[in-house]
Amino acid sequence: MPSTRLSFSGGHSTRRQFLKASAAAASGLALSSCGWTLANVRTNVRTASDVLYIYTWAGYTDRELIDQFYKETQIRVIADVFSSNEEMLAKVQAGAGGAYSVIYPSDYMVRRQIDLNMLMELDKSRLPGLDRLFPKFRDPSYDRDNRYSVPLSWGTTGLIYNRKALNPPPTDWQYLWDYQQQLTKRLTLLNDQREVFGAVLRSLGYSYNSTNPDEIRAAYEKLVRLKPAIAAFNSDAWRTQILTGDLKIAMCYSSDANEITPENTDLAYVHPESGSSIWTDALVIPRTAPNIEGAYAWLEFMLRPEVAARICERLSFATPNATAFELLPREVQTNTTLFPPESAIEKSESLEPIPPDVGEIYNRYWTKLTSG
Amino acid sequence: MSVSPPPFSSTSDLTPDATKPRWGTRWLGPLVLLGPAGLWLLLLLVLPTLVIFQLSLVPNIRPGDIVNPSGIDNYLLVFNPTNFRVIVRSLGLAVGTTLLCLGLGFPVAYWIAVLAPKRWRNLLLLGFILPLWTSSLLRTYAWITILRPTGVLNSILSTIGLPTLEILNRTPAVLVGMSYSFLPYMVLILYSSLEKLDRALLEASADLGATPPQTFWKITVPQALPGIAAGSLLVFITSLGDFIDPELLGGASSMTVARLIYNQFLGQTQNWGFGSALSVVLIFAVSLSIALLLKYGDSSATQR
Repeated sequence: MPSTRLSFSGGHSTRRQFLKASAAAASGLALSSCGWTLANVRTNVRTASDVLYIYTWAGYTDRELIDQFYKETQIRVIADVFSSNEEMLAKVQAGAGGAYSVIYPSDYMVRRQIDLNMLMELDKSRLPGLDRLFPKFRDPSYDRDNRYSVPLSWGTTGLIYNRKALNPPPTDWQYLWDYQQQLTKRLTLLNDQREVFGAVLRSLGYSYNSTNPDEIRAAYEKLVRLKPAIAAFNSDAWRTQILTGDLKIAMCYSSDANEITPENTDLAYVHPESGSSIWTDALVIPRTAPNIEGAYAWLEFMLRPEVAARICERLSFATPNATAFELLPREVQTNTTLFPPESAIEKSESLEPIPPDVGEIYNRYWTKLTSG
Repeated sequence: MSVSPPPFSSTSDLTPDATKPRWGTRWLGPLVLLGPAGLWLLLLLVLPTLVIFQLSLVPNIRPGDIVNPSGIDNYLLVFNPTNFRVIVRSLGLAVGTTLLCLGLGFPVAYWIAVLAPKRWRNLLLLGFILPLWTSSLLRTYAWITILRPTGVLNSILSTIGLPTLEILNRTPAVLVGMSYSFLPYMVLILYSSLEKLDRALLEASADLGATPPQTFWKITVPQALPGIAAGSLLVFITSLGDFIDPELLGGASSMTVARLIYNQFLGQTQNWGFGSALSVVLIFAVSLSIALLLKYGDSSATQR
């Protein structure tokens, strides 16, 4: 358990001291009033230089990538996956943080981890590929000048729908309310309260990142009206459901939409007119990382245009790497699901961290919404 | 100096020794037998529970904060209307599941224990608990396949000309999934209770002119009552903490206490203190129902 800070005098400790210390530790853990620090992350002793532990999203690495890296560097990559930024943060804070050399947080989580002083400032001289990024990814708002993070992929949030089932086709979030009768239990939204509230806020003309309680309440009330149409809040299960025809429309990330639209030509992705969220997933090295050499080698590898272009095609997410973009085949470059037009991007916002008390407001409405 | 030979223990010496062994030997046995499991429980159950309890007394604690118990605000939060409604919902689902399991499980257990040929009983029972050998996640996914709008159930219904059903992503689907998951537990416990049914009493009741329903309610059910109570309680407790079925089958209104606790730790707002308070309340509710069972379950057992 974390940090009831014990120190043995000198290098030798007698048995008695040990017993005293363990008794102190036990009582400290149980019910002391002096307090212990909840969840301290310490560097792991696991520092073998031929193994690299990374903590990433499902679908962000594959055999080919790991094998190629091994062939070049003789470093074996072991990937653990998380399904949300919050899950990742909680696990890292609960003590798993010392285990990983590279983590893949999204934009707002990079900001949060910087604020929590969890990330290592990057040595740019070891990452020559950084200046091959598109200009806007060289100075992102969540991490100015990429001091702590390297953008890996980006995308938008939007709607995937079945062309045969919906007439007219959706163009904006407001469609869900206008054609609600057609959609009863044939619609899913992401299982992510910020994304869902953000989309509704946007449809009301507010910011995706509103911290105004009145605006959030308005969004909640609008969501309640949509509730009869919503089959579920899920971020993954909609894939099979929309392929089998159980859903007509689903809120999703562009990378996921791009992955499944080839499986059924009736499916199409639309970037909502009034704007949505635009997200970036980045690579960071935690302060507590073991095998820092290996971590830099991985970052440098992922920044290489050939590697970035290959994974963009194979794993179907948009690359922020300008040189890699040039290497992509024409039909990938013109794929508007992956690379939406600049006009659509202009109206979109990235999710920003919000203060905890505003987070509580979102959370309370979310609990109400999903228990009603 | 003559050394007297060591006396062989006489019977008079041995008797008190055997009845009153020395302190060391008296405790050695239980210590060896209970020590490992006791240590296990202490380290992995008692201590973590105490840590949870301590965390629950710190308002607004987030990872990295100093744990310094200072009040019961988190418990007050548990009982605010939004959260309380989630608790009531979970209780409702658990009660519903329990009643369904009892209603479905009792006839089955009765048939296996009383009516089925004796040599078939073990095989029948085995067949009934066979689904428990598969992963519960897998079974829940199977229900999705069956219940979804274009799934197995609706294909069959439309083939035979009946209207289709919209069950998935609504509360009935959760009840179906949960009662299916926990039915085997109910049947197993009811079986062991009904197996011991005193047939002579049933015959006597019939001899004395009681109708079959009267015999059932006045003779069979009272004898099976401890089993009914134990089975119901087990199903109730397990379904109260169930996470998978509501999450996957419940659709947009799938919030339960278990999910609410999960959200406090792994969700968007991290509030470990409130999550701990919810856990403590849940642990307390479950302990209370077990205590009730021990009290009333026993008395009904001795009454027969």
